[in-house]
Amino acid sequence: MRSFTKFFSSVRLAIILLILITLASVLGTLIPQGRSAAEYTARYGSLSGFFTTLQLTRLYRSPWYLGLLVLFALNIVVCSLTRIGAKWRKAFGPAEPVDAQSLMTSKVKNRFRLSLALGEAGDRVTRLLRARRYRVSRDGSGGRVFLLARKKRLGGLGSDVVHLGLLVILAGGLISGLAGRRSDLALREGETAAVPGAAFSVRLDKFETEYYPQGGVKDWKSTVSVIENGAAVASRVVEVNHPLTHRGVSFYQTSYGYDWDAPRLGLEVRKRADASFMRPVTLKPGETVAIDDPDLSRISVRGFVPDFVIGEGSQVQSRSNEPRNPAALVEAWKGEERVFAGWVFAKYPDFGEGHTGAGAPSPLAVVLKTYDAAPYSVLQAARDPGANFIWLGSLLVTAGLFLAFYWPPREVRVVLEEAQGRVEVTAAGRAAKGRDAFQAEFDGIFEEVRRAS
Amino acid sequence: MTESTLFTAAFAFYIVALVVYFAALFARRERWDRAGLVLAAIGLGFHTAALVFRTGSSGHAPFTNMYESLSFLSWAVVVALLVFGRKSRVARLGPYLMLIVVALVALASSPLMPKDATPLVPALQSYWLWLHVSVTLLGEAFFAVAFVASLLYLAASTEEKKERLDALAYRAVAVGFPLFTLGGLIFGMVWAYRAWGSYWSWDPKEVWSLITWFVFALYLHTRIVMGWKGRRSAWIAIAGFLAALFTYFGVNYLLAGLHSYA
Repeated sequence: MRSFTKFFSSVRLAIILLILITLASVLGTLIPQGRSAAEYTARYGSLSGFFTTLQLTRLYRSPWYLGLLVLFALNIVVCSLTRIGAKWRKAFGPAEPVDAQSLMTSKVKNRFRLSLALGEAGDRVTRLLRARRYRVSRDGSGGRVFLLARKKRLGGLGSDVVHLGLLVILAGGLISGLAGRRSDLALREGETAAVPGAAFSVRLDKFETEYYPQGGVKDWKSTVSVIENGAAVASRVVEVNHPLTHRGVSFYQTSYGYDWDAPRLGLEVRKRADASFMRPVTLKPGETVAIDDPDLSRISVRGFVPDFVIGEGSQVQSRSNEPRNPAALVEAWKGEERVFAGWVFAKYPDFGEGHTGAGAPSPLAVVLKTYDAAPYSVLQAARDPGANFIWLGSLLVTAGLFLAFYWPPREVRVVLEEAQGRVEVTAAGRAAKGRDAFQAEFDGIFEEVRRAS
Repeated sequence: MTESTLFTAAFAFYIVALVVYFAALFARRERWDRAGLVLAAIGLGFHTAALVFRTGSSGHAPFTNMYESLSFLSWAVVVALLVFGRKSRVARLGPYLMLIVVALVALASSPLMPKDATPLVPALQSYWLWLHVSVTLLGEAFFAVAFVASLLYLAASTEEKKERLDALAYRAVAVGFPLFTLGGLIFGMVWAYRAWGSYWSWDPKEVWSLITWFVFALYLHTRIVMGWKGRRSAWIAIAGFLAALFTYFGVNYLLAGLHSYA
């Protein structure tokens, strides 16, 4: 147990761990994390097996990286515990009298005599120290008074507050990792989905995408209702940066899309030979609609893509999920004779020329007028019980850093002794930082003590 | 006056300040050194106006792409120079820090950096953009001061100079470290939690800011607890600034991740 404490209380260990964690973290950014085995093989060849075995491909969740963090946490705990007692006593402990001679070894010091009674002199020094916001404790017996004056006492514990904050953050991370749950819910307008691991559901009432005049996406807004026991208990607009939180589960706007598998398409069918003929048709891909006309008995849509492009091997593909170039593959029959087959484009109505079954230009012209796909919104439902620990830890780290750097403790010790009918005052001071400013304050105090005598 | 006119005026003053600073250094004229600081301060005035104009015309915080954030970082370095005004003059930090400022402004002005103010993507529409980026870059500006002081320490010939530069580097870290911790890590976590639903994703930019933080933590611990000073401290501060620089630049161009804005 003793050697355990000794090992973990060493600052040298802390330094070594810091260096190891830093180097490991660098490694984890050089090797992309969490990719597929095929990608690693393509990238690193024979080294990929080695990387996977060492878990360098999922480094930040690997036992050895987490092990380093655990060792680091232990190191912080033991380091802090072995030192906190002495630090606490120094900041808040009772005054322990020293003799005047030992004060004279200090860098910041003063010694002079006052023509006052001992008690009076003690009161005067105390009062002037208090005027400068020192907390003064007094200890006196037999012709001798000892004063211990301290201010900004918490400053000495700043680094401990930072370390406590770090431990709380690490604990928060552990809790998030073990108990955190997140899942994506893809919802179309009007759809309701049960929230995994919770006793309520969410319904997407409305989903809008707002655009800037220049074209870019300005915002995604999901109007979400929380349903408990069949009744809506809360309703709110969820936007990026504005999540909704209900019973510990937060809902984030994470993605969106259109259900292009089943868009409602509006077509206009015309005859090249008869300008007065126009027949609007509404249908979904895969559907066939019968038409009562001597030249045209039925029409169907065989396929749809929102962003038409000819890819490799002359394959029709969609470049994106945005309706940048919507196109439908349309077929029309007159009895058993195919009179139209071809892609028609919403943005290029003149471009979509169909052909007959025999390969001749079609007597029909088909235009894709409308394409309405149901938009869906992807909400991330997240329960993260560790998050509050992170905020608490962050608060402690911030406060601790402030204390450590900008709240330097100051200490003044004074011995007053009766000497030949007068009082000899010996004072010494110590400041963790800002020694010049402290020296000025110290000199100011004792200048004032002397002046009034 | 438009933003680009103001920015160019700031650039011009910075260049003149740089020239005057180096003239002071080589001609050993103390007073010219003071003139360098005044010129830099005037440049900062124009630069501030440029940033305000940019904010007004774009309607969002002036650090949403590389041009804007470079401009803000160089602004912050001048602020750090002025904060350490008297101390930096004694330590002769001005010329070299100004060299960094001019390099950053030149990079921002180069055709490599698109200057168009583009509307904000939804993820960036948050007041955390202001808090996270400005405080982080301000912290990094103080790391730049520590970096220059540490380089000068390594080059210094007399003990007196060395002691002064060592103390100055520590002071700069003492300002930069809390700012970087708060802005880079804590505000970053809060914003990530609001925008992405997760406070930490081990994204390369996150990891590199943690690495930067570790290096400066190492600087503080070796110094305060183990009593390292001088040469070894200087090297750690240099490594820390380089890590900060890589977090800021390198990650964007060399490592892919979530943080693909600037």
